[in-house]
Amino acid sequence: MTFGRDFPKSSYLAAPEVLTVASASSPDAELYIAIHADGRVTAFNGHVDLGTGIRTSLAQIVAEELDVPFESVAMVLGSTSAVPNQGATIASETIQITAKPLQRAAATAKHYLLRRAAERLQLPLENLVVEGGIIRAVTGENASLSFGDLVTGASVQLVIDPEAPLKPVSAYRTVGSSRPRVDIPAKATGRWTYVHDVRLPGMLHGRVVRPPYAGFDHGAHVGTSLISVDETSVAHVPGLVAVVAIGDFVGVVATREENAAEAAKKLKAVWRLPPEQPDLNSPEEALRANPSTPRKLADRGNVELALAGAANAMDRTYVWPYQMHGSIGPSCAVADYRNEHLTVWSGTQNPFPMRKDLSVLLDMPEESITVERLEAAGCYGRNCADDVTADAALLSRAVGQPVRVQLTREQEHAWEPKGAAQVIDVRGGLDLEGGPAAYDFETRYPSNLAPTLPLLLTGKIAPVADTLQMGDRTAVPPYAYGNLRVTVHDMPPIARASWFRGVSAMPNTFAHESYVDELASAAGVDPIEYRLRYLQDKRAVDLVRATAERAKWVPHTGPGTLGGEGDLLYGRGFAYAVYVHGNFPGTAAAWAAWVADVAVNRKTGEIAVTKVTCGQDSGLMINPDGVRHQIHGNVIQSTSRVLKEQVGFSSTAVTSKEWGGYPLITFPEVPDIDVLMIPRPDEPPLGVGESASVPSAAAIANAVFDATGIRFRELPLTPERVLAGLNGMDVIETVPPVSRRRWWSVGLPVVGVLTAVAGLATMASPWRTAITPVEKPALDTYSANTIERGRLAAAVGACNVCHVGTDGQAFAGGRRFDTPFGAVYATNITPDPENGIGNWSYPAFERAMRHGISRDGHHLYPAHPYTSFAGAEEADLQALYAFMMMQAPVAQKAPETKLAFPYSIRSMMAGWNAMFLKAAPFQYDQAKDATWNRGAYLVETLGHCSACHTERNALGAEKTGRAHLSGGFADGWEAPALNALAKGPVTWTETAFYDYLRSGHARDHGSAAGPMAEVVSALTPLPDSDVRAMAVYLSRLNTSPVAETPGVQMQSAIAASVAASEQAARISPKGARIFEGACASCHEGNSILSPLTLNSNLHSDVPDNVLQVLMNGVEAPAILAETTGRQAPEVMSMPAFRDVLDRGQMEDLTAYLRARFAPGKEAWAGTGQAIDRVLRPLANIH
Amino acid sequence: MTKTSPPSLFSLTVNGRNVVVEADPKTPLLYILRNDLELNGPKYGCGLGECGACCILIDGRAVRACTIPIAAVAKRAITTLEGLGDGDHLHPVQQAFIEESAAQCGYCLNGMIISSVALLNCNPDPQEADIREALRHNLCRCGTHIEILAAVRKAVVLSKAASSASALSAVSETKA
Repeated sequence: MTFGRDFPKSSYLAAPEVLTVASASSPDAELYIAIHADGRVTAFNGHVDLGTGIRTSLAQIVAEELDVPFESVAMVLGSTSAVPNQGATIASETIQITAKPLQRAAATAKHYLLRRAAERLQLPLENLVVEGGIIRAVTGENASLSFGDLVTGASVQLVIDPEAPLKPVSAYRTVGSSRPRVDIPAKATGRWTYVHDVRLPGMLHGRVVRPPYAGFDHGAHVGTSLISVDETSVAHVPGLVAVVAIGDFVGVVATREENAAEAAKKLKAVWRLPPEQPDLNSPEEALRANPSTPRKLADRGNVELALAGAANAMDRTYVWPYQMHGSIGPSCAVADYRNEHLTVWSGTQNPFPMRKDLSVLLDMPEESITVERLEAAGCYGRNCADDVTADAALLSRAVGQPVRVQLTREQEHAWEPKGAAQVIDVRGGLDLEGGPAAYDFETRYPSNLAPTLPLLLTGKIAPVADTLQMGDRTAVPPYAYGNLRVTVHDMPPIARASWFRGVSAMPNTFAHESYVDELASAAGVDPIEYRLRYLQDKRAVDLVRATAERAKWVPHTGPGTLGGEGDLLYGRGFAYAVYVHGNFPGTAAAWAAWVADVAVNRKTGEIAVTKVTCGQDSGLMINPDGVRHQIHGNVIQSTSRVLKEQVGFSSTAVTSKEWGGYPLITFPEVPDIDVLMIPRPDEPPLGVGESASVPSAAAIANAVFDATGIRFRELPLTPERVLAGLNGMDVIETVPPVSRRRWWSVGLPVVGVLTAVAGLATMASPWRTAITPVEKPALDTYSANTIERGRLAAAVGACNVCHVGTDGQAFAGGRRFDTPFGAVYATNITPDPENGIGNWSYPAFERAMRHGISRDGHHLYPAHPYTSFAGAEEADLQALYAFMMMQAPVAQKAPETKLAFPYSIRSMMAGWNAMFLKAAPFQYDQAKDATWNRGAYLVETLGHCSACHTERNALGAEKTGRAHLSGGFADGWEAPALNALAKGPVTWTETAFYDYLRSGHARDHGSAAGPMAEVVSALTPLPDSDVRAMAVYLSRLNTSPVAETPGVQMQSAIAASVAASEQAARISPKGARIFEGACASCHEGNSILSPLTLNSNLHSDVPDNVLQVLMNGVEAPAILAETTGRQAPEVMSMPAFRDVLDRGQMEDLTAYLRARFAPGKEAWAGTGQAIDRVLRPLANIH
Repeated sequence: MTKTSPPSLFSLTVNGRNVVVEADPKTPLLYILRNDLELNGPKYGCGLGECGACCILIDGRAVRACTIPIAAVAKRAITTLEGLGDGDHLHPVQQAFIEESAAQCGYCLNGMIISSVALLNCNPDPQEADIREALRHNLCRCGTHIEILAAVRKAVVLSKAASSASALSAVSETKA
């Protein structure tokens, strides 16, 4: 068990030996410092560590001011029972604001201890110094006392002395020197407790089911869209404890996590259709249309007059997309509600504000709620941490036990409050001297309050769209524009949004710094020199000069000076900003400047940011290594945002629900980074968590201009956007088709040629006679040898693949097959007399097997492949009968097949049989060897391979001649050709067939999936010799001469797919990104899986099998191979992507896969219809 | 068409210990490691095998525990972050990550370390491009890539030192 609970404040104050420093002398005062009798120090801060290392920096500040060893200080952050209420951890404020009282408290404690030491040692105060927690005399007396000595024996509570003198910066030793992060050793060994790792006795697992309006949190539909929840849909889930529905809040609780996950997935909830939203994929129009209130932030000179007189008017618009914080760990929380008290373990950024939300949600006083704050994955703003805490609280209250709730990746992606889109218009131009004539800047920023979601879902608060004033960060440009007007249009949210690193300052700076670059270019002046003409802040000027020098900036007045090589064009760009945070006019955090070097591939449109030189003036740096890491992190994350990141939306919801749809920068793309930290030890420390992100977009866009001569004013700079710019075209955004319902539940057309029946037989045919029921044969009727032969016959026939019970019971029947003629259900073939074949005599069994007539005389449909079985050896059928009769009877009726008229007239099958059934014994070929003949017999009779692998005619009968085993369709899957018409690039050899049938995997082809995986599994009991025989027969179906060995075929196929990757990315850029983010982790560089280009399915004429696999996943090949002991089969399964990729994403990905891995083949037409085909059975189930 | 399977007993070898757990055969190994065995190293990140936060070693290869059904594991040896070290000694890769402070929030750290160990298992002297490629599908959102790369480079040095030290001691033991 991992309790993850901090000691409450009261326990520190009540300790018999302790020195505490608090805001007042009352017991409910805020506690800042506790010094223990052993000399250890505990310090308390209301802000939390979001992964930036603030825990270490705060400990340094405390150690410095107290003059104790750094290692003796432990920080308690955020837990409401212990720490001061210092609001939300936002806006780079921790060092600049919330550390102040802590520092003063440390000083108060130290001066108190010095006074106590002076009394005890009877020395004048001024003769004493503190070093490493020891107070000693400087005057030579051999006397010293440790802090521990002084604390021992009494409990003393001090009140912060606001006048307590602070150490001069010149005396700093701990602050200003790099300290290793205190948390990393535990994190690197799995001993750290994140909120995800909290485990309590009796803890249950919860999951939530979110409404369909994913990522939108205001409007009358919010909290009122749930129509019904069907609890019976999850009644089968083991360990299910509760289904909870309150308004639009829906959650499930189970004893085990996988069961909670299963229940959340299977729970049938009916929702109202979500309302249409404006198109946020190209957010400009939506933001302009959103009602707003202008707020003037600056107005000097006469903008209109100056614009009228400008020599060169330049009106520009900059567009920033919706982006995601993208925490690597989806949010998680644990709640324990009992005896009118709630304790939550949370990764919240806002322990105290969240506690207030919980009190509203649960109608309980704040004092009855304890928030234990534990670290979570980094969030760079706000993620779903508060939401999931409230989820857990609701579920724990419902079940009266502790509940842990883990959001899924798709829930975190879809519902995290996004970084808002932004649109900025700049009107300006040059005056006659080439100076800026005027600067009229207007920025539009949709608000970002994002109330805690369960408050809205349960209807506890009204789902109204509040407007905040947060679009003004760094909205005022840093340059001395004589005629300046700055307006921010405050507006309510559109999508659910919250602050995200460099909130509004990053987009505003994209505009400022791109625009000033354009002015310089138009004026024919070096862009840095131009900036310096109008930059007045001395620290900014110093930083800009130092950064330019560090990067060896070569002044230039136009693009193209760096040239290029091959398809690459080189460029470098500059940008500068100071991040201003807090309410306008705000407070400056660190200053930052970028020189970005890029290489633009003019053929592919790809931009590589090759190097970033980042200068930063952070004032006094508490922990210089920590500052450097923050700069690195900001540079990398913001480069990712600029090049790659944009949230996708349908007309009703967020569609980016995993990392393929929202790709992040990867290691090979990370630029070299040269950090220049300006030493300013005498200046106050400044927040460093966000500043270095702010200049990124303009620096990169300016570098791209330098390389190509083209300005990009909308992000992200994806290859297709860049290519379109290079081609002088507008970017054409393809928006996925709008679907109002959950897209796969839309009514699907009847399609597909499936293992099926025919219906047009016209010859009326007599009902066949029933065969008299008999008693089931006694258990000792048959010899062990006979039963064993029957077992193998059942294996080669894979009877249980089709006749398996819906609950997994062997041969119990009920599996549904969708055919062009309707749904056919497999029958119960266990020896149960009522529901199965228990009262069938052998003649009745044989007639059914060979002629397709049931015991009672009715015709079976040829979904039962009696046309193949007809040729089986008598001895095999007898043995099979014996085996079946020895099975456990299952008294369970399978659903009856009821086809619509005219197919319901089963007697028509008599005519069909007359046309298509050749009930003759299998003909052995004396010219061939015994192995071939054995293989042929197994394949063509009991194995009935042709039932799936042969196309059927309009009447549902297998075609003959060249069509035999040339490929067909079964159960929604294409059963590929087994002969010369096989589509894969490598010829199927005897070895390949053998490996595939035996282990489910052939090196040159890939792994079995879908129904074929079940067949391979069913074949397991067969002796190797029989599998070998089948392989021999199958491999000789292909009689065409093979020019190359499989090895050569494989190598050339792989080479072709590598060569095709650029072209494929051009054909389907989004598909390329989805592949890289969602597929490549397993499908590239994996020596166990076969390369995708070898897989027949990529080379097929239809994408059905590819879509089957994408939608429904594939079981780990190791499970199939387990029985055969194959070496090192893949243990990972392929996940099902149907709930995380939408139709448009599936189509993009499929197009990419085809172009990349079957480069010689035509693009697939009709992927949309194939998606319908694949999803149809799912729609029937749901 | 989901079949619910009855819970079964599975015998696993985790960090050198044999353990028996009872679960549905489809249960992701990640849940077993975290919930039944209380191992906090592997982290849930996406459940889709995309991000790498849940990486573990199976027979020395880095795989994603979120996509491994427990039924697929069989007798293979599982190593988690907790099992990398040798008693009181950190694994050289862990040592290097600590020395280079190669974490911000640290949530991806497990996957970074495990993938680096797997890389060094098969390539003891990787070039920069090899390292970047090996970590390509381990996502880090904090932007700790520079420190992580430095840590892997340091791990290469530490591993070589460790293996030459153990080779030396093997030689001296032989002589003795």
